[in-house]
Amino acid sequence: MSLSGATPGYQKGDLVYAWTTNEDIARSAECGGAVTGLQKFALESGMVDAVLAVKRGSDIYDAIPVVITDPADLAQTAGSLHCGTLLLAKLIKKYLGGTKDRKIGVTVKGCDTMGLLELARRGEINLDNVVMIGVNCGGSVSPLTARKMIREKFEVDPDAVHKEEIDKGQFIIEYDGGHKGISMDDLEDEGYGRRSNCRRCLYKIPRQADLACGNWGVIGDKAGKATFIEVCSDKGARLLSDAVAAGAIATEPANPKGVEIRGKVEGAMEKLGQKWRNRDFTALKEDLWGTIERETSRCIKCYSCIEQCPVCFTDPDQFEKNSPMIRRGGLPVDGMFHLRRFAHISDSCINCGQCEELCPMEIPLALFSHAIRNEADLVFEPKLGRASYTN
Amino acid sequence: MSEDSKAVMKYVPTTCPYCGVGCGLNLVVSDGKVVGVAPWQRNPINEGKLCPKGLTCWEFIHSPDRLTKPLIKKNGKFEEASWDEALDLIASKFKETYEKYGPKSLGFQVSCRTPNEECYIMQKFARVAFKTNNVDNCARICHGPSVAGLSLSFGSGAATNPFEDVLNSDFLLIWGSNAVEAHPLVGRRIAQAKLKGIPIMVVDPRFSPTARLADHWIQFNPSTHIALINSMMYWIIKEDLHDKKFIETRTKGFEDLKKTVENYADVEQITGVPTETVKEMARKYASAENAVIIYCLGITELTTGTDNVRSLGNLSMLCGNIGRPGTGVNPLRGQNNVQGACDMGAYPNVYSGYQKCEVDDIRKKMEDLWGVTDLPPWYGSTLTEQINECGDPIKAMYIFALNPVVSYPDSNHVKRQLEKLDFLVVHDIFPTETTQYADVILPGACFAEKDGTFTSGERRINRIRKAVEPPGDAKEDWQVFVELAKRLGLEGFDFNSPEDIWNDVRRVTPSMAGISYARMEKPESVHWPCPTEEHPGTPILHREKFSSADGLGAFFGIEYRPPAEVADAEYPFTLMTGRLIFHYHTRTQTGRAKVLDYEVPEGYVQINVEDAKRLGIKDGEKIKLRSRRGESIPVARVTNEVAPGVLMMTMHFPNGANALTNTALDPLSKMPELKHCAVAVEKIVGAQ
Repeated sequence: MSLSGATPGYQKGDLVYAWTTNEDIARSAECGGAVTGLQKFALESGMVDAVLAVKRGSDIYDAIPVVITDPADLAQTAGSLHCGTLLLAKLIKKYLGGTKDRKIGVTVKGCDTMGLLELARRGEINLDNVVMIGVNCGGSVSPLTARKMIREKFEVDPDAVHKEEIDKGQFIIEYDGGHKGISMDDLEDEGYGRRSNCRRCLYKIPRQADLACGNWGVIGDKAGKATFIEVCSDKGARLLSDAVAAGAIATEPANPKGVEIRGKVEGAMEKLGQKWRNRDFTALKEDLWGTIERETSRCIKCYSCIEQCPVCFTDPDQFEKNSPMIRRGGLPVDGMFHLRRFAHISDSCINCGQCEELCPMEIPLALFSHAIRNEADLVFEPKLGRASYTN
Repeated sequence: MSEDSKAVMKYVPTTCPYCGVGCGLNLVVSDGKVVGVAPWQRNPINEGKLCPKGLTCWEFIHSPDRLTKPLIKKNGKFEEASWDEALDLIASKFKETYEKYGPKSLGFQVSCRTPNEECYIMQKFARVAFKTNNVDNCARICHGPSVAGLSLSFGSGAATNPFEDVLNSDFLLIWGSNAVEAHPLVGRRIAQAKLKGIPIMVVDPRFSPTARLADHWIQFNPSTHIALINSMMYWIIKEDLHDKKFIETRTKGFEDLKKTVENYADVEQITGVPTETVKEMARKYASAENAVIIYCLGITELTTGTDNVRSLGNLSMLCGNIGRPGTGVNPLRGQNNVQGACDMGAYPNVYSGYQKCEVDDIRKKMEDLWGVTDLPPWYGSTLTEQINECGDPIKAMYIFALNPVVSYPDSNHVKRQLEKLDFLVVHDIFPTETTQYADVILPGACFAEKDGTFTSGERRINRIRKAVEPPGDAKEDWQVFVELAKRLGLEGFDFNSPEDIWNDVRRVTPSMAGISYARMEKPESVHWPCPTEEHPGTPILHREKFSSADGLGAFFGIEYRPPAEVADAEYPFTLMTGRLIFHYHTRTQTGRAKVLDYEVPEGYVQINVEDAKRLGIKDGEKIKLRSRRGESIPVARVTNEVAPGVLMMTMHFPNGANALTNTALDPLSKMPELKHCAVAVEKIVGAQ
């Protein structure tokens, strides 16, 4: 690949509106389909060997990760699924050999981005072989919570809904016979809405990816028809430049007013995130040890929190060893089972929420580890050095 | 397949192969091998959450220990054989035995681990080919009393309400169930209920992990359920807390009950529970607007199993706690498809959908639908009765995915009996303690290697999906029965897929006729009964009327009876048995998952601190347990979770609990008394 002289050479920091020129993708995608179009171009041009993205499973509440090597299959990953609560980062380590021997394009939310960065800091993946196409994320809603919320608060049959989105502070559904939106604040005050880790998240635009894409700030005649792209790295600049040169993607400069609006949306989301942090962390402060002890005492030792955590990898010989503090085969679990994990991830918890979402005993694990990291970041120099992201 | 077999990280949504909760999960497949389990957040049952067994359920799939070829025993040694050779031999031996000794000379034992389609085809095969009702499944040794008891009380032998429905309740009464370990994702619903502030009462002789979640833990003497429940009912009636309108309009037999419980005002001598506590239990259950009962094998695995279940039925009806959200009587079914194996008619007295063999019209209908004649009306031999009948009259037996040598009571007896058979087929995925008794071993396919359905304990029919090919020459198990039927010239077995078999189930089973594979594509799937494609399914039973013929619920006055064998001077301890969170049954699968084997590599017995002190036994040392039937040497765990004089032993290990257990049967359900026998405890001198 090389940049041909006649095409615009994008640079890190550029802000553009972009859309796909592929009609198939445009039809199934949202906001111009630039993300899918870029992934397709990366795959076709050989910049990557495979794309890891998410497709719809049994319905719009079912997000399934998929590895695609045939560009024709990419259209199935177009569009967004706000009920997708997946973390793609660890899948790359677990099932794709950590990109040691193949190049992968991956569509990443903030948590996926942070997860990949943490994996790379530990030498578990090779970021040189990863193209991260970031997407703005205001948070995701667990599938069953979404269905319950749609049934109970929207009073709509969740199976009749064909599209959902989160926009302008509302959760909006389109269904056979209409559309409806309710303020996320109201939903969340009543216990519905986004996962609690997402509520606390401050990393809304993944600027540590190669490109950060989204619909915030797309205004005027391009509203709904283009993707706002911030070029975040040289690799991202090269992908966009080549895709435009090849005619796969079309662009125009972002409207300055749109840039301003995007900044405001980001600011508002961060403010909301801060509100939730204050609320969650100060509530935890009241009886910190008691809460941790009480909540973790329900643990059934399924090991999911370790298995799903992007910063926990176990010693292959762990099951050859006896711990003096954690009894084998016993419930309730000994306190050190969780304490050692909190300590291990203390300066690296990205608040992706997987441990908590997948805990069969409803232990608010992400709350604990996120609170620990948040406090630690205030005073300590992290073991692996400061992260390039802030959350 | 060639394209698929090269796919990387392909997610195959399916159902966990372990307990009867029926959690959904994704098998992750790369290059034709299962490489992991990934959460399936969209599944309504568990929302992606899994227990330690579910999370590791992929690890045994490609084990090098898998059976990969048919084996025929020649001169006392197993030799590899072709499928033709093995199937020809089985067909001819069974035919010969049938012709020489008749239908009662054959025994068919169906596993609750296998999909509905295989349970159905196996019982159809036994009944059509050999006119025998000697077909049973291992519900017999877990929830047979639930099927019997709930049928008598309510007219349907299944759980009344879905798992998640506990969150609609105002009071949870959990009796003889350690759901947190045995059914962990129901344990999660209980934990959610607690977080919601719903009061929880756990009635269990042991301070189990589930009891730890409770607001009220009621410890009582093992196996004294009926006395305790009768006493609760005495006080409910005495204090006028019963639901008179419900009793009058929806039930019968109340006077009989009322009369019986008159004598149970004070049961402290029997149960160890003070009367004031019983009154509190009664008031709490009766005063909740909607109260649910959850129970498990603590209730069923006794010679009074069916009566214990009926007693819970009595209690629920007394307070009108049936037929609404947040109420009900819910047995937690132990195996992935124990509900389904019963539903499919792998039972000695019913066809699929509990259609009774003894009823002439039903038999005639089945003959017409199956295109056969002379289906037998008689009640066939049950699982453990078949073991007792080995040699006389049973000469040939087909054991499908069961390990009786470890899982049935009195292992020594089982071994002696299996030796008496002329011909034994064991069809399984691994060599087990039982396969060595076989004349032919057939290599089976595990849950990841075939399509089909499992019916969970909430009557929800969940799909399993083929992710990879079976190993070596192993076949999808349903094909074996198709092949055997072909060799015997039977009609009605020309199935080309599990879906074909399922459609045959629908054709002959009114309660499931409306549930197509297409409808099961939705993660919510459907709860039976569901008679037509338009019917939404039935998450809650007995809403307007009970499922019985007259539509009424039946009260029974039931007297307390002690267990068949109680502690005495010679065998002074009461032994209870139980399932651990880290293992499943005889460990052929969980024993091959690293973390599970790490957590509990060998069997143990819990013994009270005082008893241990008196006998000089330290935590972690091996001790000898003796019963009238055998002995076992487990590790002692010294704890106050069990009362003095009471032991609790893990059920999963060979030469373990079932070397000691009692074969005495519940007269109504033929359940052996797996949860209560008398043992002696000996310190092993020099043991560490």
